[in-house]
This record gives sequence, C-alpha cells and structure tokens, in this order.
Amino acid sequence: MNNTITPEWCLKMADQEAEFAASLSHAYTELPIVEIQESVDSEAAHNIAFARLVRLMRRRAHLSVEQLANATRVDLVELVEIEKDARHRADPRTVYQLAQYFDLPAAKLLQMAHLSVPKDARLAEEAIRFAARSESIDELSAVEQAALEAFVAVLSEQSEKP
Amino acid sequence: MSVIVLPIALREASSGNAVPAELRGSIAEQEVLDWEQHWKPEMGAITHRLRTAGVDRRLWPQTAHWDWRAKVDVSQTMLANAGYCIACSGMTQGLMILSTLYTCRLPADKGKAMVYVEFLEVAPWNQIIVNGPEPRYRGVGSALFRAAVEYSRAQGFKGRIGLHSLPQTNDWYSGFCGMTDLGRDLLHQNLRYFELPERDADAFIAKGSPP
Repeated sequence: MNNTITPEWCLKMADQEAEFAASLSHAYTELPIVEIQESVDSEAAHNIAFARLVRLMRRRAHLSVEQLANATRVDLVELVEIEKDARHRADPRTVYQLAQYFDLPAAKLLQMAHLSVPKDARLAEEAIRFAARSESIDELSAVEQAALEAFVAVLSEQSEKP
Repeated sequence: MSVIVLPIALREASSGNAVPAELRGSIAEQEVLDWEQHWKPEMGAITHRLRTAGVDRRLWPQTAHWDWRAKVDVSQTMLANAGYCIACSGMTQGLMILSTLYTCRLPADKGKAMVYVEFLEVAPWNQIIVNGPEPRYRGVGSALFRAAVEYSRAQGFKGRIGLHSLPQTNDWYSGFCGMTDLGRDLLHQNLRYFELPERDADAFIAKGSPP
C-alpha cells in the first residue's frame, strides 16, 4: 500500500466530503414524507420551472438532449422525462450533475426540483414567474434569452448571499 | 505475514478537530467483533427510529442487512480478495473488501484487469441518515476508496476500480469519487455499475493533494 495516503490528504478529503454531502444531504435528510403530500400543487409549478430551465440552458448551449445526457453522464431517459413530464421527480444525482455542468448552485436546483424543503420564498416566486414567461421554441427568442439570463442571475445572486 | 498499517486522520464533525486514525490492510477478528457488538446494534436503533417515525423504507440505510462476519468468512477463503479497515478512537470506523477477479467494461479499458470493490461500508454513526445527526467522523469513505486505488496501482492496474453501487451511494461514487456510470446491471440485482479509469483515479488523488 502506497504510503502517500497522508493524514493531510485524508483531512482535505474529509472536508470536501462535508461540502459534497451538504449539497445533497438535504435531499435525503430534510424532506419529510408529509410535506410531499401537502404541496402537490406547488410541486407541479416548480417542476415546470425546473424543466423549462434545463431545456433553455440546453438549447442555449446548442445541445441535443442526447448530447447533454452524454456530457453530464446522466440517464438519457430521465433527461427526456425531466423536460417533458411535469410530474417527473428527478434523481438528486441528475440534478447535481446538471448544476455542475451549467455552473448553477446545486442547492437551489434541488429546491426547484422539489428534492429539498423550500427555504427561499423569493426563489419559489421567481421560478414560477420564469416558467410563465418562457416558452419552448427551436431558437431562443430575445425574450427567452432575457428571461433565462435574469433567472440565472437570481440563482447566482441567491447563492452568493451569506 | 505482516499487515500494513498506515497512520491517517479523520475529521471529527462535532469539534472540527483532526483525530488520528489507522488504515489497515486487513480485517481481523476485532473488526468483526466491532461490527457485531457496535455497528449492528446502532443500525438496529437507527432502523427502529426510522420505522417509528414512519420514514419511507426507500430512505433507510441500504446496508442495514449486511453481514460482515459472513462476508469476511467468505473473503478469507479467496486468495484474490483483500480486506481493509479504518480504526479510530478504539473502534472500527470503516470496512472494505476488494477483489482482483474482474476486468474493465469501459470501452477504452475493456478486458484490462482492475480492482473490484466487493463491499465498502462506513460505521452507522458515520453515515448520513435521513433526519439523523451529523456523521461523527468525516473522511472514512475517501480513505478507503483511496486505499482501493492504491491497491489497484500496487497490482499494476494503474488505479482502475470497478463496483456496483447501492442506490444511496450512486451520487457519492459518480459525483464525489469521479467514477463513470455504466448504467444498471441486470445481472447484478439491477444495481448501477461504476468504473474509475486511470486518469480519473489520478484526479481523485489530486483532489486531496496540495495544488
């Protein structure tokens, strides 16, 4: 066994484990079953916003669904269901991979995908507003582009707040 | 035959302190006793709490049924197997069994030898449990995974690793360890199969190395 497994290496990885777990753990630890049943209507609205965000970010990157699935190493079928089926509950790993690829805050995307308990009322409002303003066409219109950029700015702004 | 023992460190979550630990290249009777006398009761308490709280069974720890005595008994009959453990504060904090019987499936490495992670588990108090407390020690999983990479290198397999993951650890292996997801394996309880090629083994090590 190589003796380059140092205590310093282990501690640095331990700290990174904590950061990684924090981005995903609330998907498993903060989601009471009861809240799922009581928030079905808002869940559908969030799912639509999440689906619209993924679709527009993909189109802005000029990627097909298959290309995005390959680039993010997620299941192609799930990616199709995310974009097409508002009732689909995304896998936390898929959301994390999409967040990494599009350089968006994973915690906020998990909230949009209804995989964590909503903590930010403004994000919820902006998500619904974004879903209402954007539409799916082959090319991003100036309105869609503006809407997408404005909402991405909200996501990024929210993640920078202490 | 001498057993390799390496001094490492873990992060105690409650205090943020670094605590000394050992990474050992074997699983002896004491480690199995720790599992029987401490891991099992703790896991039982966890599942009882989850059941009482009405938590969906899909969110329960998916290693709750694992029997490490049986696993170690079988492993010790296989020359191609190797066992590792991590001990800290007088207690076993993680266990792992490796095998060298399998070959890679990734197209670029297809047919090449690799180290297969048969089983890897951290102690129940170190796991992320739904609605549970923060893990007691951080770094156990990383240290064991690194040990698997180093074992692969020592065998001449250049750090190549393969494993089937329980659903709860899919994110860990793909998102944190950097493994490639090859999809569900119908011949292995429909679990997802992951591989780590050489370049990604190097990347995993680099994550914890000085810049």
